[in-house]
Amino acid sequence: MHGVKQVRYSSEALAAKRERERAKLAEYQSLTAKVLAKKGESVWTPESFALTTKLLHVNPEFYTVWNYRRNILLNGLFPERPPAEINDLLSDDLSLTTAFLKQHPKVYWIWNHRQWCLQQVPDGPTEAEPHGWRQAYWNKELFVVERMLDADPRNFHAWNYRRYILKEMPVKRTAQSELTYTKRKIEANFSNFSAWHQRSKVLSSLWAAGKLDKIKSSEEEFDLVKNAMYTDPNDQSVWIYHRWLIGPGDDQAVVEREIASIQELLDEQPDSKWCMESLVFYKRLLLRRYGDHMPDERRQELGSECLELLAKLQEIDPDRRRRYDDLGAF
Amino acid sequence: MGPTLDIPLHVKYIQSLGENKDDLVYHLTAHLRMNAVYWGLVALCVMGHKDALDRDEMIEYVMSCWDDDVGAFGAHPDHDAHLLSTLCAIQILTIQDALERVDTARVAKYILSLQQPSGVFAGDSFGEVDTRFLCCAVLALSLIGHLHELDVEKTVGYIRRCRNFDGGFGAQEGAESHAAQVFVCVAALAVLDRLDELDEDMLGWWLAERQLPNGGLNGRPEKLEDVCYSFWVLSALSIMNKIPWINDEKLTQFILSAQDLEHGGIADRPGDQPDVFHTNFGVAGLSLLGYPGLEDLDPVYCMPASVIEAKGLRKGWKALPRRASA
Repeated sequence: MHGVKQVRYSSEALAAKRERERAKLAEYQSLTAKVLAKKGESVWTPESFALTTKLLHVNPEFYTVWNYRRNILLNGLFPERPPAEINDLLSDDLSLTTAFLKQHPKVYWIWNHRQWCLQQVPDGPTEAEPHGWRQAYWNKELFVVERMLDADPRNFHAWNYRRYILKEMPVKRTAQSELTYTKRKIEANFSNFSAWHQRSKVLSSLWAAGKLDKIKSSEEEFDLVKNAMYTDPNDQSVWIYHRWLIGPGDDQAVVEREIASIQELLDEQPDSKWCMESLVFYKRLLLRRYGDHMPDERRQELGSECLELLAKLQEIDPDRRRRYDDLGAF
Repeated sequence: MGPTLDIPLHVKYIQSLGENKDDLVYHLTAHLRMNAVYWGLVALCVMGHKDALDRDEMIEYVMSCWDDDVGAFGAHPDHDAHLLSTLCAIQILTIQDALERVDTARVAKYILSLQQPSGVFAGDSFGEVDTRFLCCAVLALSLIGHLHELDVEKTVGYIRRCRNFDGGFGAQEGAESHAAQVFVCVAALAVLDRLDELDEDMLGWWLAERQLPNGGLNGRPEKLEDVCYSFWVLSALSIMNKIPWINDEKLTQFILSAQDLEHGGIADRPGDQPDVFHTNFGVAGLSLLGYPGLEDLDPVYCMPASVIEAKGLRKGWKALPRRASA
């Protein structure tokens, strides 16, 4: 369990708590026994379906009961029903999971059941419009996931689910719209690494597909990052993203320019661990990639600059001094 | 000088876990029981008190969770089989030297049937995919001696596609790096002898940056410290022989300060409610950090090192040397 503060009960308070729970426990155990018995007998009726609803309300982490519920739908309720009714059943289950997710936003089993429901949506409403129902659900899913990410912008279940929806929706959203979404999340909070991460994935995919000019787009990203860096130089999200932008350092001029830019920031913030760490990384990158074509003097200069920075880093970030030590031994 | 590890207290805590049959939360977590037994057992082993829980009772409990429809283990009697509980069952039986009770060929078949075309594994027939399940599959197959039946290239290919630019790994392709997912991918690669897939410098950096000023480790940038990351992060570092890249003393103090020194057990952070999950990973972390008086832990399998060595499965990981005294 995470984030649950210790509560100290006196023996009287503990006895009272146990008493209150005794009735709940008896009910829960009786309901569980009933449901598992019916499951064991493969009872796939609306009554057993309702029992699973009741049990899941008490314990939405009971994965075996989610399994049973799905089997009831597949084997008992879906067969012999027209697509419109199947659609309604799925719609109800999606609403149920939305309600559960508000209380339990990080329970894998609930997210998984949502995904399963989406996969079961039949063709409809008509033969001419076989993806109509599906598209409506998928649009709604995006809306639900956006509400979840407003509540907790770092919820990886929600981000993973978002990526799933964007990939599987019958009529795809544009990658550009996802870029806009990530920018909105980043501007709301530069510290949202999940949004920076998503942005890096969307950009990579756009660049690979030739849909966006990589050079021009990278320049815009460097501007965005510079703004974030200057706003809060202590935020590691921004520095990790910057390291991605630099990548293998294909453009030496860009690497040199960024080094100069970070040096300027370091001049204003002389204890900035992230400036120093990044400068070491990028200078070493220059040496690795372009060292052979550099004048000796420049090569030596870069090397000694790194050692100087690493010595400073050992002082201001002593928890990680061994790493700085190891880096210095090149 | 902070607190020391109160082994007798934590042993009593673990022993007491199944005792109160009136505890509502105990029953509400039946879907995690197999995992809980495994966490309790490993913690006891690391603290040198393996026999604090009855071996025969434990084996019978594990076997009572066998799902004969499918050939694998659920979390509790009458609970459906799942890869998570199947791995825990195999781990428990291995530690208890009782693997002969299991039809391992059938289990291997179940596990392999869950591999998807992409190379990832589903957790069960309902198809949820996650690199956690890939790790469960690899570890379990290895422990039951069926690893040779796995399509290694296919499996490693999926892990590779989950690798992010920061050197870390996510739950699926495209997912953000997260320390627990880093552990599962690194452990799987270690078992498969494919650590060449790692950018060790980049990943070592990302992992080292999980340490916060209070000494605790978090799982992702800008998140809170949590004792369980003492294992996820630390084990990945030990597999890459980079534990020295963090401050071991501060982490040790952090874990020790998360103990409940009244009732026993370790929590996610100081002041919170303890549970067997964090007790296990706290003690596991301390073992890797060389805390005195503990048994060695294999970070790849999160099982006693002696058990893994006896099976010939030990890989080239490095923990900190065991100190003679706190």
